[in-house]
Amino acid sequence: MKYDAVVIGAGPGGYVCAIRLGQLGLKTAIVEKDQVGGVCLNVGCIPSKALIHAAGTFWKIQNEAEKMGITVSDPKCDLGKMQEWKSGVVKKLTGGVGQLLKANKVDLIRGNAFFKDKSTLGVRSGEGDTQVTASNFVVATGSRNLTLPFLPMNGKNVISSTEALDLKTLPKRLVIIGGGFIGVEIGMAYAKLGSEVHIVEALEQILPSIDKDLVGVVERKMKKMGMTLHTSTFAKGFEETDPASASTLHLKVEKNGKAESLEADVVLVSIGRKPNSEDLGLEKVGVQLDSRGNIKTDNLGRTNVVGIYAIGDVTGPPQLAHRASMDGLLVASTIKGEKAYRDYRTVPWAVFSDPEIAVCGLSEKEATERGIAFKVGRFPFAASGRALSTNETDGFVKVLINEKDESIVGVHMVGPEVSNLIAEAALAVEMGACAEDIVRTIHTHPTLPEAFPEAVEAAYLKAIHTANVPRRSR
Amino acid sequence: MEFKLPDIGEGVAEGEITKWLVKAGEPVKADQPMVEVMTDKATVEIPSPMNGTIDELLASEGETVPVGKAIVRIAGTGDSAAKKPSNGQAHAAQDRPTSRPSTSAGSTPAAASATDSSAEVLPFKVLATPATRKLARDLQIDLSRVEGTGPHGRITKVDVQMVYEGKQAATSRSSHPSPGTAVATKTKAPVSYVPSGSVERIPLRGVRKKIAEAMIRSKHTAAHFTYVEEVDMSEIVKMRSAAKDEAKARGIKLTFLPFIIKALIPALREFPYLNSSLDDEKQEILLKGDFNIGIATDTDNGLMVPVIKTADRKSIWDLADEIETLSEKTRTGKVSVDDLKGGTFTITNAGSIGGVFATPVINYPEVAILGVNAIRKRPVVKGDQITIADMMFLSLSVDHRVVDGADAARFMNRLVYFLSDPKRFVFA
Ligand SMILES: Cc1cc2nc3c(=O)[nH]c(=O)nc-3n(C[C@H](O)[C@H](O)[C@H](O)COP(=O)(O)OP(=O)(O)OC[C@H]3O[C@@H](n4cnc5c(N)ncnc54)[C@H](O)[C@@H]3O)c2cc1C
Repeated sequence: MKYDAVVIGAGPGGYVCAIRLGQLGLKTAIVEKDQVGGVCLNVGCIPSKALIHAAGTFWKIQNEAEKMGITVSDPKCDLGKMQEWKSGVVKKLTGGVGQLLKANKVDLIRGNAFFKDKSTLGVRSGEGDTQVTASNFVVATGSRNLTLPFLPMNGKNVISSTEALDLKTLPKRLVIIGGGFIGVEIGMAYAKLGSEVHIVEALEQILPSIDKDLVGVVERKMKKMGMTLHTSTFAKGFEETDPASASTLHLKVEKNGKAESLEADVVLVSIGRKPNSEDLGLEKVGVQLDSRGNIKTDNLGRTNVVGIYAIGDVTGPPQLAHRASMDGLLVASTIKGEKAYRDYRTVPWAVFSDPEIAVCGLSEKEATERGIAFKVGRFPFAASGRALSTNETDGFVKVLINEKDESIVGVHMVGPEVSNLIAEAALAVEMGACAEDIVRTIHTHPTLPEAFPEAVEAAYLKAIHTANVPRRSR
Repeated sequence: MEFKLPDIGEGVAEGEITKWLVKAGEPVKADQPMVEVMTDKATVEIPSPMNGTIDELLASEGETVPVGKAIVRIAGTGDSAAKKPSNGQAHAAQDRPTSRPSTSAGSTPAAASATDSSAEVLPFKVLATPATRKLARDLQIDLSRVEGTGPHGRITKVDVQMVYEGKQAATSRSSHPSPGTAVATKTKAPVSYVPSGSVERIPLRGVRKKIAEAMIRSKHTAAHFTYVEEVDMSEIVKMRSAAKDEAKARGIKLTFLPFIIKALIPALREFPYLNSSLDDEKQEILLKGDFNIGIATDTDNGLMVPVIKTADRKSIWDLADEIETLSEKTRTGKVSVDDLKGGTFTITNAGSIGGVFATPVINYPEVAILGVNAIRKRPVVKGDQITIADMMFLSLSVDHRVVDGADAARFMNRLVYFLSDPKRFVFA
């Protein structure tokens, strides 16, 4: 039997693509070697957010409840039980994906897929090898944790994010190598649960791609919580020859050229992710990769080989679930023969730190590089009634406005719930909304989204709820 | 900043740098054309995204570069940002994980929207909602050329629809192309034509534009004349029929074209001026040692001429096979820039559609083009008998600056000599 389309990998890129293909009436199958839902649902976005939320609740009970007149005697965290709750959340979601695939008449084929030729896929599973033929293939195999030879993971005390999201006992001293969003999110969660957490980062700043003023707010909170940041610091390896059997690890680091040692009982290596583009037989069918192994695609998600498409993490940054899903929808339309284009202005994204960070559109540096003259407007959450009433006043909203046509060029937020607030800003950027559009839209009171129009007003020195400080336009 | 070759059009993966319009050390203004890039679809000018100074040209003329590769470094005026390590460099650390463990780079999705050059070209320069942008793409309308009627110049769906229907002259912004956006070269003064009745305005773009330019250049440069002769193809028709089974076994579609090429080569050898071009500037005629035969091919986008390289060294089977793959590639838009270059003589086959004969336009700077026409059974007089033969007209257009009528006629005689009896080109 020949399918119209076969999707390889059932992550947020692949399953979304397959469901849409099914909706469009194409005979579709999806091959998954592991669990449906991919990294995102099983060992990424969802379990990490569940754990972060649980840790945050524990932290609030301990540190904030009393101020509001609530006394809880001796709160305890049963990490095993917390993980059970998290696993339940994951199960519910992945079960739902399975049902959706079925409801849209997508065949789920279990096994490891690899290309035999341009129209045939081999699928290897415990039950032996089978073959699937199709007119179109969508490679959505995602990415995996990057490893370093001198920091070999052992799944026990030198671990990746996957094991870090499933620890049953709380590490006393957790050292995290890599201050990207995964390291920061997991680090803050364990700090809230009671671990002593250190983050080792090679660059001058954790979350290096985000504007310094936003990261500063998170750094202050980290320090307040007792976390230690080692920036401009390189991990070099362990003093122990057999880390797995050591009860205490000694991580060798180089800080500003000076050798130091950090003690830990668990080390999390979160230095990035690399595309799953090997072992797929891509070279056999001639699909081109870039120097980092990412599959090259054009504006329609097509690879250089006719009938083979690629989406999501396996095509390189930005490695985000919602980008993978958007690509999935695009490619499904392309395969169906509908007109479709990758034509978004922005891929918004969020760091689920405390407080959260979320950005969309251009950063100040990027706007400057493009020769766009812009105004900056800013609104601190300390002036928001809602933020005060939820006891979360750290952070601000920063808006960049094009001087020429007053359109919203970029929005950068740090503060409570900003992972949710950024959606409105992304819509504004995508719609080409102007400053006036934002301030003419009534926002509910008292809510956090009020910060957006206030920040826009501030750029014109007309903010109501903050002092208007003239800012230099760029 | 490093400026990357932007996405110049759907399905275009690379472009040839044909001409730099700026030099290192020179100042540039935002929107000032920097470089001319030729793709297999069209030649475009790419404007600068910003005010600044050209630091370094990173690609040389004649070089073919993939979309997304840096082609020029520009230093912004009063903008030190360009010199600071950028996101890109932070990510570069990932390339060498063993030598310098960047502990963060990879795990940060970073650079999300802005540096994903494939994702967007126009954004932040033109105001339009996603639905309007989709409509514009569907109708192939360049938003940078549409005057927006909304607040702050926002382009509405109605604006796009109006341009499509020709109700708004989409030229108002043409002198200010958006940075990074490919804009067709040389905007000509608009010809005023007052339409009466219903008129659909279709922008002259891409392959159509390239054809228009090439035809004008040829007609304005070469002194065309066309010479017509007929030839009895009966022997070749027989020879081809005899090879039918073998063709089937080889999986090759055997047309008359390979036979015609085979007959053409010895004739061209005898008349090297037909396989030449004229260098106007140096006032020299270049006699070409290679026999690279262009095959005029009809595609959905318009006429394209893929080239069979060193046709003189290929067998009939090789030629048949290559013609089939090349024309398939051309028709499906997968032909490479290389496949379209280097021709020394062109054949155009009008006969597959119909007609007695055509007067082809020379594929300049070549000096001759052979039109082959339909093979039809016709009564012919042989000796004193009327017989039925497979007859074909040949129409040869030649640049009179290089080849005189008498030589064209002599060349045609030799071609007819070879074609009328394939044994002759086998021996040639
Ligand atoms: C700890 C962590 C937290 C994260 N948090 C967020 C977040 O908050 N927000 C966000 O947007 N992103 C987050 N991400 C990133 C997000 O998970 C990825 O961007 C997303 O999962 C990519 O989706 P994908 O469909 O491209 O690939 P994946 O989700 O990686 O799915 C690929 C699938 O393909 C399967 N597969 C691979 N090879 C084969 C084969 N040969 N045959 C059959 N099947 C195969 C794999 O088993 C997998 O199921 C996080 C990642 C991690 C690790």
